[in-house]
Amino acid sequence: MSEAVGAPVLSARGVRKEYGEGDGLVRAVDSVDLQVGAGETVAIMGPSGCGKSTLLHLLGGLDRPSGGEVVLNGRRIDDISEKALARVRRTDVGHVFQSFHLMEELTAVENVELSALLAGRAPRAARRRAEELLERLGLAGRSGFLPSALSGGQRQRVAVARALCNEPLVVLADEPTGNLDSAAALDVLRLFRDLRESGQTLVIVTHDARIAATADRMFSMRDGSLVDETRLTGGTAGRLGALAGLED
Amino acid sequence: MGRVLLVTRLAVRDLRRRPTEALLLLIAILAATTTLTLGLVLRDAAGDPFESTRAATQGPDVVAKAAGVSELSRLERLATASGVTGHSGPFPVTSGKIQASGRTSDVQVVGRDTADAAVDRPKVTKGGWVTAGGAVLEAAFAHALDVGVGDSVTIGGKPFEVVGLAVTAASPPYPATLCLVPAGCVHGAVPEDRNLPAGLLHNPGLAWLTQPDVQSLATGRNALSHVMNLKLSDPADAQAFVERNGGDAFLQSWQGIRSDATELAKDSQILLLIGAWLLGLLAVAGLSVLVGGRMADQTRRVGLLKAVGGTPGLVAAVLLAEYLLVAVVAATGGLAIGALAAPLLTGSSAGLVGGVGTASPTWSTALVVTGVALGVAVAATTVPAVRAARSSTVSALADAARPPRRTGWLISLSRRLPVPLMLALRVAARRPRRVVLGVVGIAVTVSGMYILLVLDTFLGSQTGTGVYTADQVETLRHVLMVWTVVLLALAAVNTIVITWATVLDNRRASALARALGATPQEVTVALAIAQVLPALVGAVLGVFPCGRLLFAGINAITGADGGDAVLPAPWQLIGLTAATVVAVALLTAIPARLGGRRPVTEVL
Amino acid sequence: MRQEVVLAMLAKEPSHGYRLRARLREALGPLGDAMNAGQVYVTLARLEKAGLLAVEGSADGADRADRKVYALTPAGQQRVGEWIAEVGWPKPDLAEFHLKLIAAASAGLADPLAIVDTQRRELLRRVREAQLAAMAEPDGSAAALLLEGIVLRLQADLRWLEACEKNWNHRRSGS
Repeated sequence: MSEAVGAPVLSARGVRKEYGEGDGLVRAVDSVDLQVGAGETVAIMGPSGCGKSTLLHLLGGLDRPSGGEVVLNGRRIDDISEKALARVRRTDVGHVFQSFHLMEELTAVENVELSALLAGRAPRAARRRAEELLERLGLAGRSGFLPSALSGGQRQRVAVARALCNEPLVVLADEPTGNLDSAAALDVLRLFRDLRESGQTLVIVTHDARIAATADRMFSMRDGSLVDETRLTGGTAGRLGALAGLED
Repeated sequence: MGRVLLVTRLAVRDLRRRPTEALLLLIAILAATTTLTLGLVLRDAAGDPFESTRAATQGPDVVAKAAGVSELSRLERLATASGVTGHSGPFPVTSGKIQASGRTSDVQVVGRDTADAAVDRPKVTKGGWVTAGGAVLEAAFAHALDVGVGDSVTIGGKPFEVVGLAVTAASPPYPATLCLVPAGCVHGAVPEDRNLPAGLLHNPGLAWLTQPDVQSLATGRNALSHVMNLKLSDPADAQAFVERNGGDAFLQSWQGIRSDATELAKDSQILLLIGAWLLGLLAVAGLSVLVGGRMADQTRRVGLLKAVGGTPGLVAAVLLAEYLLVAVVAATGGLAIGALAAPLLTGSSAGLVGGVGTASPTWSTALVVTGVALGVAVAATTVPAVRAARSSTVSALADAARPPRRTGWLISLSRRLPVPLMLALRVAARRPRRVVLGVVGIAVTVSGMYILLVLDTFLGSQTGTGVYTADQVETLRHVLMVWTVVLLALAAVNTIVITWATVLDNRRASALARALGATPQEVTVALAIAQVLPALVGAVLGVFPCGRLLFAGINAITGADGGDAVLPAPWQLIGLTAATVVAVALLTAIPARLGGRRPVTEVL
Repeated sequence: MRQEVVLAMLAKEPSHGYRLRARLREALGPLGDAMNAGQVYVTLARLEKAGLLAVEGSADGADRADRKVYALTPAGQQRVGEWIAEVGWPKPDLAEFHLKLIAAASAGLADPLAIVDTQRRELLRRVREAQLAAMAEPDGSAAALLLEGIVLRLQADLRWLEACEKNWNHRRSGS
């Protein structure tokens, strides 16, 4: 259905996810094919309940598909052991969630270093990496703060820093601006732009048109299937002035 | 009225919504109330049957005995001593062997008139009073010999028919029977390699014959001695009377008889009351966790109640009412089970009126048990109920879960540990109060087990030395077993409850850790370690100092000198600690495993 | 853009033509590019002719429009006041697209859903353009607010397209 810009880092072939059985069978994800190239930003957009979060879980090894293949960095991850899957989650994938999912009792830096500690890094190296990432994401002065003392945008920055901590091949973000106000969302969008410029591969599911529109490629998802792929870089978008009513 | 109805209805509905938790609550309080009832019933059993026996049999205030015919004049002088208002006897006494259905025992036989005496009229519980050739046996003795009315026995080689069984307040029931013969008696078991001095009676029982029959048995060495029962103008003065008139060798006050008669029941009662206290503590610890967990779940409900105009008072009342309802049911159940089970533990006081089967809870017992049940419920509920009632309506409606605590030093310490330990410490650090409750629960259980070890060793050593007979040891072992079983069951319920609460509370944190790459095993092990570590601390504290303190406390209450008790050996204590840790690990394994394997995406 | 906007920009103080342009560009940011210099000067000349502006003289006597200093006349001031009080608002023409869908469906000219999809892609391109411009703006820039307004309106339009899609999807499966 799609061809990737570079060599595919992450690809899905005929991926399905079903719940229930008989008449109650629900196809949350239905035969999805997708290839994500290195350094690419891919957005998957669709109304709530279309299965986009489930697809992201399947791509990130949080859940197993009922059928089809998920290949990450040339290796199938849909049929490997729980333990191997855990290793994939801690070294190859970084997750960013809509509701941040920070540990409330841990400070910003402790949250960030957690994934490094889980990956077995030395405490001192983990702390250094976490501090470095927070600084890079503009939170240098906030590393000792608890999440409750941070704004929504700052919390999501901490969550992104945590996702980046183990230098993942791909960062998967689920509605990263869903809980943010307009200004904070802009902040996160800029952050994703910077990540993209640094060569980070990103897959984002969202119903926020701003995120979808700024991706390299955008897929629309309906009822568990990808129905449409759009390259927003081409086409006829008018001049900005016209959009603001400056010219007719 | 409407308010009470509303509160009750809301409380009942909420209990029915979560039957399993309601049942666990019930079991926890029920265990405590049952044990408490047993303890209190036994206290009554220890005191009351003797009192009623004494009243029913015109029990003597002082029993006086005289060796041989030569000392009879002493007894006659006593009958007219100052303070004596009545007497019966002197009655002839002799001793011999009694053989009945293949068993042989030493026996002391007292010769009585066929008519009632003024003082000490043994109360016939079965059959009739002495006749020529017809013997009446003390009830507990008959029970021990397994002899009933109509059976034939031989006493001192002569055949007699058992015509009746009776109880008396002039002697403690068998096997603590008052020694009436000059040769002396020894109670308890005698090591086989030791020969008793000739004539010394071993665990003698008591039987009544007619005076001529007793005289016909008294031959040779077994010369007659005499016994006389005295009534004093001031029964409370009996002990002083004994000291004024010749001392313990000849005289026995009714208080002395009572303390011998009720010794066993008292010991059982002390054990059970201590058990009830331990169980009460355990119940509070378990309930606090259960209630705390339920409350966290009820924040939204509380918010709704408050949003529609419920005052903090009403909210607290609804929450409290739930647990009070459970407590009342548990108290009733505990009283019923305790009353039914008590006779099983009072078997050996069969020698007293009302000693068997009629040990029943009194009003004061019922009040105490109900009070304790309610107290336990209130103690466990107050903090969460007040917290819930005071919480802001808005945040309650938003269903904001109780935020986890931050224990900074534990978090930084845990960074340096392997992943499962790191996660475990963080799980523990999130809810310090629950960890404390877990530690307390295990410490209470283990100190109970410590006492059990001490008592078991003690009882084991007693069979040889004669403070308790084998039957009594058996009874005390029963008592110990009852509270051991209840204690362990409750501790197990507690552990599961605490683990489950932890698993539920850490659903999100566990899922998150797994999303970040922790394996299911790591999360499972972390959840289990989070229980096992407090259990280890609790077990160590339970052995020392709690077990030692509890033992000292028991000694203080019973007035016993603990010096002769053997404290558990180090290997026993290490074994106890290890067993506790293993048991907790096993109990937590299943909930922890479920918690560690729950699909990540379901939670996030 | 209406002439009154240029007029109102001079309400604070008289200004050179080039200063005025600079202020407009500052407020509009990247959108100011759409406005060529000639447009502003044509407007200024028109307003001067209408008696709403007066030229106060030029810095070095030159006759070039960008060197002249413009000031409001009393009539101009009154006009600005009226304009400020106006509540006019640009009208989105939704009826056209709505009728396009109905016409396409009833005459079998095209699949309404395909029209919606194409339209959505177009709107997303516009979102992209505005959003990229907004992300390039420095913090506290006045133009960022304008760009946000554009994005928000486009998002509202996209939501309507979603509703259209749901509706036409439903009609198709219903019939």
